[in-house]
Amino acid sequence: MASTIRLVFSNPKYAYLSVAIFVPMLAGLLLLSEYVFLEPYVVSHLPKGTELGFVLIVVLSALSALVIPMNVFRIVALKSSRQKMGGGVFGSVIGAAAGACSCGPVGFAAISTFGSVGATATAFLTNYEIPIRVAAIAVLVITYFTTARSLRTECKF
Amino acid sequence: MNKKRVIIGAVIIAVIAGIAASASLSSPETVNLDMERNHGTISTALGSPILGDPEAPITIVEFGDYQCHFCEKWFHETKPLIEKDYIDTGKANLIFVDMAFLGRDSPKAAQASYCAEDQGMYWEYHDMLYNSQEPTIDGGWASNERLKAFAFALGLDMGLFDSCLDSGKYSKRVQYNVQQARENGINSTPGFFVVGSDTQQLIRGAQPYSTFQKVIDSMI
Repeated sequence: MASTIRLVFSNPKYAYLSVAIFVPMLAGLLLLSEYVFLEPYVVSHLPKGTELGFVLIVVLSALSALVIPMNVFRIVALKSSRQKMGGGVFGSVIGAAAGACSCGPVGFAAISTFGSVGATATAFLTNYEIPIRVAAIAVLVITYFTTARSLRTECKF
Repeated sequence: MNKKRVIIGAVIIAVIAGIAASASLSSPETVNLDMERNHGTISTALGSPILGDPEAPITIVEFGDYQCHFCEKWFHETKPLIEKDYIDTGKANLIFVDMAFLGRDSPKAAQASYCAEDQGMYWEYHDMLYNSQEPTIDGGWASNERLKAFAFALGLDMGLFDSCLDSGKYSKRVQYNVQQARENGINSTPGFFVVGSDTQQLIRGAQPYSTFQKVIDSMI
């Protein structure tokens, strides 16, 4: 497993891509989930009972930053099919959507735009925030192992 | 002549007794009937009664939803500190304005709080809702039956409360408050305006006490 990670990230392009995914994703989710505030002062805040949500956001961002560049490497460098890329992107998007809706501006925009359908969707994403994030992490972990195995086979090491 | 004095005296006593009786029946809270009540750019006319000294130099206007988890976090973690340091000391007061948008039970919960206000128990009912909040939006914790059960637990007159809630008496009031939130650029809950004599500061989200402390202290 470590050898496939070394193989992909020895190319600086993929290391930069990983950072470019991790930093905005983590920052965006921390802002949307109200762990970090920029106005009127920059301040971070971890209310009691939200520790698990915070850890899941960090894990989700880290896994997205690991899995997506590996899949891009597989497609670009090895000219493989794009089919398996779907798992990484799907896991990242679903995980990011969960909880980002709740009381925040995303939920407000969805409810204002789509009315009761938006309200039902945001309520669902909020109510099942933790299970959805765990499921998204599971999808990313499975995608990681599938990609790593595929790289080992295709690169024959 | 004496008869006339007796009649006048009886009328005066009756008027005084009437005033005393009406005063004793009115709410101990600052019941909000002032349609001109504004704080900064916000019309708080149909918001909650004022918590704290109405003459305090700073007013915190909170836009919230009773089903919002971040509002509940703020209620338990930040509000008690603000109450202790600023509201109880007369430096600030607080008004809650409904931004009931998260689910179908949100507007009904907001309306119920005003039905409790009719009986002088707005803040007690408000506290009861946040203390009873459950994690699931529209999961039944703020259903009609539960809202009535909360009123019963507070010892409210259930005949009055039920007719108020079932008739949708405060439906328009809640809609007006949601409109106020939108007009003032609130797009998430909780949202706050800290309003001083000539300035106001928007605080988005359930920010920690330190943020409120800095903003309020800069205005005093």
